[in-house]
Amino acid sequence: MKKFFTILGFEYLTCIRNKAFIIITAFLVCASLLFAFLPEVITSLTSEDEQQIDDKPPAIALKKSVYDDELLKSSFSAAFPGYEIVISDDERKEIESKVDDGTYTFAVDITAPNAFTYITKNQTLYNSDQQYITEIIKHMFEKTELEKQGVSPEKTDEILGMSYFSELVTTGADITKNYFPVYIIMIVLFMAIATYGNMVQQSVVSEKNTRAMELLITCAKPSELMFGKVFGSGLAGLTQLGLIFLSLGCSMQYAPADAIPEELKEYINFPPETLALALVFFILGYFIYAFLLGALASFASKTEDLSGLTTPVIFLLTGIYMAVVFLCSGDMIDSTAMTVLSYIPLSAPMAMFVRAILIDVPVWELIVSIALQIVTVILFGALASAIYKIGVLMYGNPPKPAQIIKMLGKK
Amino acid sequence: MKIEIKELKKSFGEKQVLKGITFESESGKAVGLLGRNGAGKTTSIRIIMGVFFQDSGEILVDGKKIERDKIRIGYLPEERGLYPKQKIGEQLVYFGKLRGLSKQQAREASAKWLDRMGMTEYKDKKLDTLSKGNQQKIQLAATLLCDPELVILDEPFSGLDPVNAMLLKEVITESIEGGAAAILSSHQMNYIEEFCTDINILNSGQISVSGKINDIKRSYPRDTINIFSQKPEEMTDFIKSKFSDGIQSADIDGKNGCVSVKLSSAKRKDELLSLLLSNKYEFDGFIVKEPSLNDIFVQYTEGGV
Repeated sequence: MKKFFTILGFEYLTCIRNKAFIIITAFLVCASLLFAFLPEVITSLTSEDEQQIDDKPPAIALKKSVYDDELLKSSFSAAFPGYEIVISDDERKEIESKVDDGTYTFAVDITAPNAFTYITKNQTLYNSDQQYITEIIKHMFEKTELEKQGVSPEKTDEILGMSYFSELVTTGADITKNYFPVYIIMIVLFMAIATYGNMVQQSVVSEKNTRAMELLITCAKPSELMFGKVFGSGLAGLTQLGLIFLSLGCSMQYAPADAIPEELKEYINFPPETLALALVFFILGYFIYAFLLGALASFASKTEDLSGLTTPVIFLLTGIYMAVVFLCSGDMIDSTAMTVLSYIPLSAPMAMFVRAILIDVPVWELIVSIALQIVTVILFGALASAIYKIGVLMYGNPPKPAQIIKMLGKK
Repeated sequence: MKIEIKELKKSFGEKQVLKGITFESESGKAVGLLGRNGAGKTTSIRIIMGVFFQDSGEILVDGKKIERDKIRIGYLPEERGLYPKQKIGEQLVYFGKLRGLSKQQAREASAKWLDRMGMTEYKDKKLDTLSKGNQQKIQLAATLLCDPELVILDEPFSGLDPVNAMLLKEVITESIEGGAAAILSSHQMNYIEEFCTDINILNSGQISVSGKINDIKRSYPRDTINIFSQKPEEMTDFIKSKFSDGIQSADIDGKNGCVSVKLSSAKRKDELLSLLLSNKYEFDGFIVKEPSLNDIFVQYTEGGV
């Protein structure tokens, strides 16, 4: 056990002193510290840019239509505050060219009481102007029709301006509430498992490449070496993640009250139980993949051999991640496929984590999944230690799976 | 401490690499393992170190099955290897701790060996900033750090310049004189002859000859005489004319200028000496030629057995 801690300490210090590790950690910590101030900075930069380009307010052109000009103008002013609303007599082509040269931000040509053309220079992914305009035209149409039926303007406004209230009651879990925090944590989980697993495989192959492995194997048991290595790298990973989350916490704590928009706050508001569960599944997932990658790296003679050996594992991890994301976003979180994935130890760290947070999973299911993962960690650890030892003197072309099984049997 | 290697057998696939190797070493004694490439030296050493296991046979320490955790072993593998990107002092402490020293002991031993190797100034440097020779010194320091009871050196002199080889000789001698049992494998016969009292020559996985170097040398027929003379040509002619029935050949050894006489029988060397003395022939030396370790090695590894 003493040697295990010696190896763990050495591995941990080696990882956290690594220049690339320090640079990435420093960058992510700085980015996290600045995170809360980012929206403000972006807003100020954007508004400054706009002011510098043109002092005049942006304009929206409305081609003359069947609707009353003033009524239309007031409706658009209310929906698009800060814009100058211009009723234009120009031909459609002329309006389009003015949109193109930037005279108008966009233009609307109402071709029938219930039809319009939205003219804009570039359509972006998040532009919802068309929806707002649809609402305005719908309102105009309904108001006009009601008034034609003899309803007074006051009554029309009362009917159309009616507020609606709704309340949601869920008998299970509210997926929408936690979806984005869980989604963000799952990305972190995936990246952390892949990154820190990669640190283990790099460490193994570098010891083999430098031939330090033969000396090490005569100083300590393979299990002490492999477990010490995996624990040391994992601890370094936790240190990095801890620093990043701590910086993020500080940033949000000390940022001005209105610095972060409420919608964004909801996305990054990680409840403590979510974080605790994420930590448990990160540790289990990391161990499973780190042992797997470490064992495979034992067969590589040099770094160039690594990709051929470990790429299938990284593909597997990526495939699991994508499957979990697909099943979640496709409203199949409670499907059989997702349930099965949450029991298979290789996919459980992501699948069970997502299920446990987003829907009501019975405690026994959680316990069984975690227990299966712990057993797998122990098995993979023992297997990785055995492979580490037989791989120590194996140089040249990596062996085929059948040869590995034969060698393990012989041992 | 006494280490006994008994009847080690090991196969890799179809190929039997060791076919029953037996030898021993004890405190204050160095045993040499000689053999051509692929003879089984490194395999034997790796089995002793537990890098892999024998198919049969046993390794005993003081009569009991070896427990590697309980003895201090200094191991210099054939393929040298430390961490090139780590600070020298730190990795020596690390290896010291892995060999069972406490942190304090490992620090002290690291400082002591760096000083002994004249490398103290490089303590905080990374290994790959040193020359190959200096890296070898650090490797040796890592081997002897734990004050080993058993020293196992696989090709220790390979790649060393004469100055570093001298330093290595000194520290290994100190270690053996300090009571360590040593097992050395090498191709360089002169070094083996300097350190080892006993040798084992491996040939195709078996020991073809073993024992004390002197005994092995004495076991050869003592029928070749080297006569050192100021006039070797005259001496050769004299022997050929006056003692022709007692010799197989008499030639001048081009290397050291002496007359090398191969007698028809070792028993006739007294006759030859008497002949030279009675004729008042001047000569500086009359020495029975013993085979060199190199001669023995070549004989026992080239199908001589």
